[in-house]
Amino acid sequence: MEVFFILSSVVAVAGAVLVVSQRVAIYSLLGLLISFAGTAGVYYTLDAGFVAVSQILVYAGAIAVLFLFVLMFANDAPPEAGPLTTVGARKDFDPGAVTQPEGRAKPRLAMPSPLAALVSLCTLALLYLAIYKLPPGFGKFLNVASQTEVAKTSGGTEMVEFGSARGISYAIFDRFPLAFEVVSLLIFAAILGAVLLTRRFAAQSRAEAEALARSQGLSEPEGEVLEKPEAHHA
Amino acid sequence: MLELPTVLFLSATLFCIGLYGVLSRTNLVLILMALELMLNSANIALVAFSRHWAGQSLNAENFAVQHTGQFFSLMVMAVAAAEVGIGLAIIVAVFRRRHASDVRAATELKH
Repeated sequence: MEVFFILSSVVAVAGAVLVVSQRVAIYSLLGLLISFAGTAGVYYTLDAGFVAVSQILVYAGAIAVLFLFVLMFANDAPPEAGPLTTVGARKDFDPGAVTQPEGRAKPRLAMPSPLAALVSLCTLALLYLAIYKLPPGFGKFLNVASQTEVAKTSGGTEMVEFGSARGISYAIFDRFPLAFEVVSLLIFAAILGAVLLTRRFAAQSRAEAEALARSQGLSEPEGEVLEKPEAHHA
Repeated sequence: MLELPTVLFLSATLFCIGLYGVLSRTNLVLILMALELMLNSANIALVAFSRHWAGQSLNAENFAVQHTGQFFSLMVMAVAAAEVGIGLAIIVAVFRRRHASDVRAATELKH
């Protein structure tokens, strides 16, 4: 079990490093998927089988696909030179003005940001210190009974596995039914909000968009053609 | 035998990698990805503590209590899913407005 933990934690950390280091967003997304898979393995070693499966379903199945969709739909082409993807870049930096020198490979990695590295390393040191100073009681994991006899509300008892869907359902519906309901409301609100946010902008009149483009000193935005397909037929 | 601090070290490492990503990136989608990493690392800590307390005889008599940490991590997942849905909708809205997915393109909230 320990070998499996080390293996999956290495996968999780490697995926996370890939997320923050790659310049091209699709590679970052790939790293995110790898990291999610590693995290699911870590959950499994911690006797949380149901959480591991939901991690794969929710993150790798739903969230990664959402990210992929938005990357395809609304991502800039990666800048030809590296600096644009970091905080240290100049304000007046124009990605369109940069031309790639002949015969030089494009940079694969994002430019490192020293300030961000400093902040995150300080946080890391602080967290490590806090974990190091844990009281002696927080050491090895003690064995947990793989199956427990639980009293059913309908009478009688049943044997339930630790970390299984049935086991977690006791926590949800015995202990936190209100939180469960509130989360369903939250997701409903999120769906409505997402639809509203994307619909309102799509329904805007062409004149308004043109006025905005003029006030910004831009020429006709390229995206207009995509949003107004009927303009072709006119 | 696995130890709680080991898992917490992993969680802290992932958290700080995510923090570095959030601080260093300027692309909105990549910031959201790094944010997901941070949420995930907090989830690992929750599950680890759940496993720790489940092993203590303290809570062994109440089966539902043993699963509290795992339940919390499921709630975090649900909230993360909602957050990603809204966040990506905002990114799409910003992209339609500004024709860029860079944070520096969205420096004012008014349209």
